[in-house]
Amino acid sequence: MKVALLSFAHVHATSYASLLADWPGVELLATDPDGATAPPGELRGRALADRLGVAYADSYDDALAWQPDAVIVCAENSRHRDLTVRAAAAGAHVLCEKPLATTAADAEGMIEACERAGLFLMTAYPVRFSTEFAALKSLHDGGRLGTVLSATGTNNGHIPIGDRAWFTQPELSGGGALVDHVVHVADLLDALLEQPAVEVRAVTNRILHAEKPINGVETGGLVSVTYADGTIATIDCSWSHPDSAPNWGGLTLQVVGTEGVADIDPFGTHVGGYAGGGPAWLSLGTDLDRAMLGHFLDGVRSGRAPQPDGAVGLRTLRIVLAAQESARAGTAVPIPQLTS
Amino acid sequence: MPEFTVGLVGAGGISRVHAAAWRALGAKLLVTSLAGAERLAAEHGGTVAASLDDLLGQVDLVDVVTPTPTHQEIVCRALDAGRPVVCEKPLARTGADAAGLVRQAAAAGVALFPGHVVRYFPEYAAMRAAVAAGRIGRPAVLRFSRGGMFPSWAPWFSDVTESGGLLMDQMIHDLDLARWVAGEVVEVFARSHTADRDGYPMQAAHVTLTHASGALSHVQGLWGPPHLGFRTSFHVAGDDGVLSYDSAATPAVRLDLAPLPAGGEDHPETPTGESPYLTELREFADAVAGGPAPRVSAADGAVAVWLATAALESLRSGTPVRLDTTALLEEIA
Repeated sequence: MKVALLSFAHVHATSYASLLADWPGVELLATDPDGATAPPGELRGRALADRLGVAYADSYDDALAWQPDAVIVCAENSRHRDLTVRAAAAGAHVLCEKPLATTAADAEGMIEACERAGLFLMTAYPVRFSTEFAALKSLHDGGRLGTVLSATGTNNGHIPIGDRAWFTQPELSGGGALVDHVVHVADLLDALLEQPAVEVRAVTNRILHAEKPINGVETGGLVSVTYADGTIATIDCSWSHPDSAPNWGGLTLQVVGTEGVADIDPFGTHVGGYAGGGPAWLSLGTDLDRAMLGHFLDGVRSGRAPQPDGAVGLRTLRIVLAAQESARAGTAVPIPQLTS
Repeated sequence: MPEFTVGLVGAGGISRVHAAAWRALGAKLLVTSLAGAERLAAEHGGTVAASLDDLLGQVDLVDVVTPTPTHQEIVCRALDAGRPVVCEKPLARTGADAAGLVRQAAAAGVALFPGHVVRYFPEYAAMRAAVAAGRIGRPAVLRFSRGGMFPSWAPWFSDVTESGGLLMDQMIHDLDLARWVAGEVVEVFARSHTADRDGYPMQAAHVTLTHASGALSHVQGLWGPPHLGFRTSFHVAGDDGVLSYDSAATPAVRLDLAPLPAGGEDHPETPTGESPYLTELREFADAVAGGPAPRVSAADGAVAVWLATAALESLRSGTPVRLDTTALLEEIA
C-alpha cells in the first residue's frame, strides 16, 4: 500500500513517519513544501525526511502524482481542507490530523469531497485507541456506570510552540488551547455518550506563557458542554503542563454515573523516580499512534470505514467553534443541530 | 488556654467531630438540641442545657452545628448575648442573611467564625501557602473536586429551599477555596444534572468561576450513590508550576482487607496529622483568647454564601451571573 505523508507541520508527523517507515506492506513517501515558510530552526522538509530516513517528494502535486492509496494530512490546521480535497481528487483515502479544520465550512467541504469520491476520511484522535478508553466504554455500554450524570476531562500539555511556532499563529492554527486540546476529550465523550452536544460555555485566559510569542491566542480555558440527555461536562484544555515537567502532559477523563465514578488516565501509567538530576517519567502506555494508524490502514485495505470519521471531526469541531464564540460573547452558545 | 465552656447547639453528624475537638482542647461542653443532646453530652463528657437561652447564659463560646436554615436565628441570638460564635458553613442560607450576621457581629464587637474547615485540611493549607508564596507563579486555571454519597440520613439536605442543596452545602467549600487561592470573583456559571436510582437521589454540578485576576476555576461537586467513598482533589496551575492532590491517589493508610458491609462516606477522613476540625476550632479559640485572627473571616463566610447563591441563580437562568466579591466585601465590612 502506498501512503503519502502530506506536510511535517504537525508535531505528530514525525511519529507517523517513523511508524510507517517500518510498517510491513506500506510504502511511504513524504512531502513538506510548506516547510520552507517555517521559522528558521524548525526541522522541516527534506532535512527532516532525511533525518527520518523516508522517501521525499518536493511538492504536493508530485506526492499525489505518485498515486498513493492513502494520505495522512499533517499540515497546519487551516490548510487541512486544501490538502484533503486535493488528495480526494487524486483518489486517496485521508487520515487528517486534528482538529479536522478551523471552520465548519472547511470541515463540511472535506467530508463532501471524500464522500463524493467514495473515499474514507478519518480524524486523528489516537486516545480513542487506548485500552483505558476501551475499558471505560465497555463499562458504560454494559450499564456498570448507570445513567451518566457528568464528566470532567482534562487535556493539559506543554505549549507546543517549542517545536512548531504555528500553533499560536491564529491564521494557521485557528486559535490557541481551545483549538488544540478540546477536541480529544470531546471525541471521547462523543463516542462514550453517543449524544449530541447542545450547548457550550467557555472562558479563557492568557496567563500561562504570557512571555512567549502567543500572538493573543488563549493559553488556558474551561469549556462547559451540555449534552442532549442533560449530561454536563467540563473540559480543561489549558496548556498548563509546566515546561520543567518530565512528561509532555496528558489526558484524563472522569465519568460520574448513578452507579459510581470511573476515572481514566491513558497517559498516566509510568515508571517514576529521579534520574539525571531531575524527575523521571518513563511512559508505559500502548503506542496510540500505532494503534490508530493500524486501524486506518485496515480500513483502507478492507473497505470498512475507519472511525473516528470526518463526521465526528465536524461534531467535535463545532464544540470548539461554539467555545470560541462563547469566550468572545461571554454567554452560553447553542450548537446547531443537524436535522438529517 | 484558660478553662472555657463551649455551648454546642445541635447534635447531628458534625456535632460529634466538633465535640471531640473541643474536649481535646480542654473545653467544658454544654449541649442543647431539639434531639440527641443527652446522647451527645454523655458520649463526650458534657452536660445538657435546658434551653438555648440557658446555654447562652453559661458559655464562653457558642458553636452552631444545626441545619442550615436555623443558623441565622441562632447565631443572631448568640451574638445578641455577646457570645463569640463558631457557625458551621454555610453561615446562613442567603447572602443577605449572612451579610447581616457579619455586620451584627462587627457592630457588637463579638467574634464570628464560619466553619470553612477545608481551609484547615493540610493539603489545601499547604497548597494555598505555596501559591501565596509565589511558588507556581501567577495562578491561571484551577480545578477543585469533591464528592461522596448523597446525604440521605437527614431529609433537610435534599431540600434545596432548606439547605441550598449540593452547591450551598458541599460545593461552598471549594467555592471558598477557589477564592482563597485565586482571589476575588467576578463571574459564576453553573450546570447541574440530577437523577435517582430506585428513589435514591443523586446530583452532580459543575461551577466555573472567573476571578478578578483573570484566573479561572472549575468546581465540581457530587452527591452520588450510597456506596461512594469520599474523595476530593485539586489541580492548581500557574505560569510557573502546578500543584495537585487527589485523596484517592494519596491514602495515608492503605488497606487490603476483606470487603466490609459498610456504606459510603459523606465527609473526608483526615489525610495525615491531627483532625483539621481540631486545628480549625483551636485557631478560633485562640482568636477569642486574644490570639491572631483566624485564616477565615466572617466576611469570607458571607462571600462564600454569595458565591453559592450566584451559582444557584446561574442554574436557574442558564446564563453566567456577574458579581463583584471585592465590592461585596466592602459592602459587608
